Amino acid sequence: MNYIELINNLLKEQVSKHEQLVIFGQNVSAGSCIGGMTRDLSIPKSGRIINSTNSENSLCGFGFGMMINDVSSIFFMKQLDFLLLGIDHLVNTYNLIRNHENNASFTIFPIVMDNGFQGSQSSSNNFADFCSIARIKGYTITNKIDAEKIISSKLISPGFRIIAISQRMFKDEVITPDELIYVNDENDVFQYNSGDDVTVVCFNFSFPYGKKIVDILKDNNLKCSFFNVNSPTPTNWTKIVDDVSKTKKIIIIDDSKSENLSCHSLLTDISDKVVLDKKIILKRNFDNTDWLNPIDDQMDINFQQVVNDLVD
Amino acid sequence: MCDVMTDLNSITEKILQIRIAQMMVNENYKDGQFKIPIHLAFGHETIAVAINEIMDDEDKLILTHRNIAYNLSRLGKLRPIMDEYFLKSTGLDSAKSGSMNLINPSKGIIYTSSILGNNFSVAVGIAMSLKIKQKDGITIVLGGDGSLEEGSFHESILMFKSLNLSGLLIIENNEWSMATKISERRIHIDLETFAKSYNVKYVKLSGNNPLDYIQKLKKLKDLSKKSNELICIEVMVNTLGDWIMTNDQNPDGKFINYHAGPAPTVDVKTCPALIKENNSDPIFVLINLLGIDELNKISDRIRHDLEEEMK
Repeated sequence: MNYIELINNLLKEQVSKHEQLVIFGQNVSAGSCIGGMTRDLSIPKSGRIINSTNSENSLCGFGFGMMINDVSSIFFMKQLDFLLLGIDHLVNTYNLIRNHENNASFTIFPIVMDNGFQGSQSSSNNFADFCSIARIKGYTITNKIDAEKIISSKLISPGFRIIAISQRMFKDEVITPDELIYVNDENDVFQYNSGDDVTVVCFNFSFPYGKKIVDILKDNNLKCSFFNVNSPTPTNWTKIVDDVSKTKKIIIIDDSKSENLSCHSLLTDISDKVVLDKKIILKRNFDNTDWLNPIDDQMDINFQQVVNDLVD
Repeated sequence: MCDVMTDLNSITEKILQIRIAQMMVNENYKDGQFKIPIHLAFGHETIAVAINEIMDDEDKLILTHRNIAYNLSRLGKLRPIMDEYFLKSTGLDSAKSGSMNLINPSKGIIYTSSILGNNFSVAVGIAMSLKIKQKDGITIVLGGDGSLEEGSFHESILMFKSLNLSGLLIIENNEWSMATKISERRIHIDLETFAKSYNVKYVKLSGNNPLDYIQKLKKLKDLSKKSNELICIEVMVNTLGDWIMTNDQNPDGKFINYHAGPAPTVDVKTCPALIKENNSDPIFVLINLLGIDELNKISDRIRHDLEEEMK
């Protein structure tokens, strides 16, 4: 099963259970249904599915308005950068709501355009920035395990959050980690492997790169602990810090294009407690302006070099 | 006739209560007693009382930063609002909202925004929630003439209409945005034509006659509910409390329209709480309707009651 089929199936299962649910967004039940994401969603008759206007700012306010009066909703959005138009509601409207008692759910569910070749626009992938700006809970979905955990527990639950998926992974076979070793109570830090040689931590949508690194390390007889940080802010990553205390070596991958990378916060926390023997940070290179052109959005990682650097 | 006079007396009491309560807030403000910014609404009392009169239990009122007249009108008391302004735990919203975001859910005020135009789309969501929950109520949302310049105004009307949601969109036009007159900042917007282009019924209210406002708003509310449609109501208001600023650049004095902060020329001792001697002041209109002696009598009583409440 590919990534978007899994997401679609999980969404269908969840929304079918909730009365008085409103689903809205551009093309949620028309055409490709946002690339298949919202295809064939079916909800109880007490709710509504709305193929909405192209008014992202007001659509955010619309969701918060329903939330204020105790009606739950999900706003599906074609591109994360459209959410820039709704920032006012994220930083202002939401504050009034979270400062008062409220039991309704509001989820904004955008697609992060990280597949490349979009031109000089439409390539914002800085998910953590949206969460950080007003300390909003946000979740990235990167594999089968986190998809099931996050969608079942967060899609429709009291409060507001953003759940983001990756356009680049849409047609890829969904990655199924061998096992889940640990997930914290908030479902924002997942651990998939445990080992004494190195700690590998992924941010944003870099999980596939991290998985590849972990597999190569295994081929080189190196045992690693493998974490994915699914919720960039605020995050309880005590488990990661504890693990690094043991391995003293860390590889961090963050594919966000932001200047303010979430991984820097983790490194700050680690540096307070651990003296590292090795620190490898894989992030994007902005030494030239190629990134402004319609080019591939994949990170250019020399995986063998990473292994060599680690054992050096 | 007798009923009309009874109604008018009752409405007059409510308008005077809001006026004098604001004057009492203003006296504290002039003394520098508040840490929070407050946007007084002298001149907005008639529309505030009229909206209160037409509201039923399940109706929702969505306000702006200039919400004091509506909050006073819905609550009918000053103390909890004054306490909120002083950020006391006994405040109307337990010191969580201050002035610009003051809500009172028990009276239907469930969202108040300090961001221009921000509340329109929230109102669309609230209107949809009433529909989903099959409630009998209607959403009433306030904005000013400055908010017409925000994109969300257009977007929200579009959504109200596209989703067949009932609602009253009240635009208080005081012809100023902070210290700038409409003519100084933009071309004229013909709101009636604008509304017509969205097939939204438009009605203009002016003159501050409270019974006239109430009668018209009741009919418009019924129409909106019956036909599931948004109705745009432009209310002409004069936000009173202007003053003349004199300095080196303006030796002859410059007119400053009231926007926020204390209104230095407004004095709580004024009887019967008149600020401007023309129809832009709701109290002037009431004097013409009931006579100065009656207004003085009522205002003395209201003032006494408010002073007792605030002891």
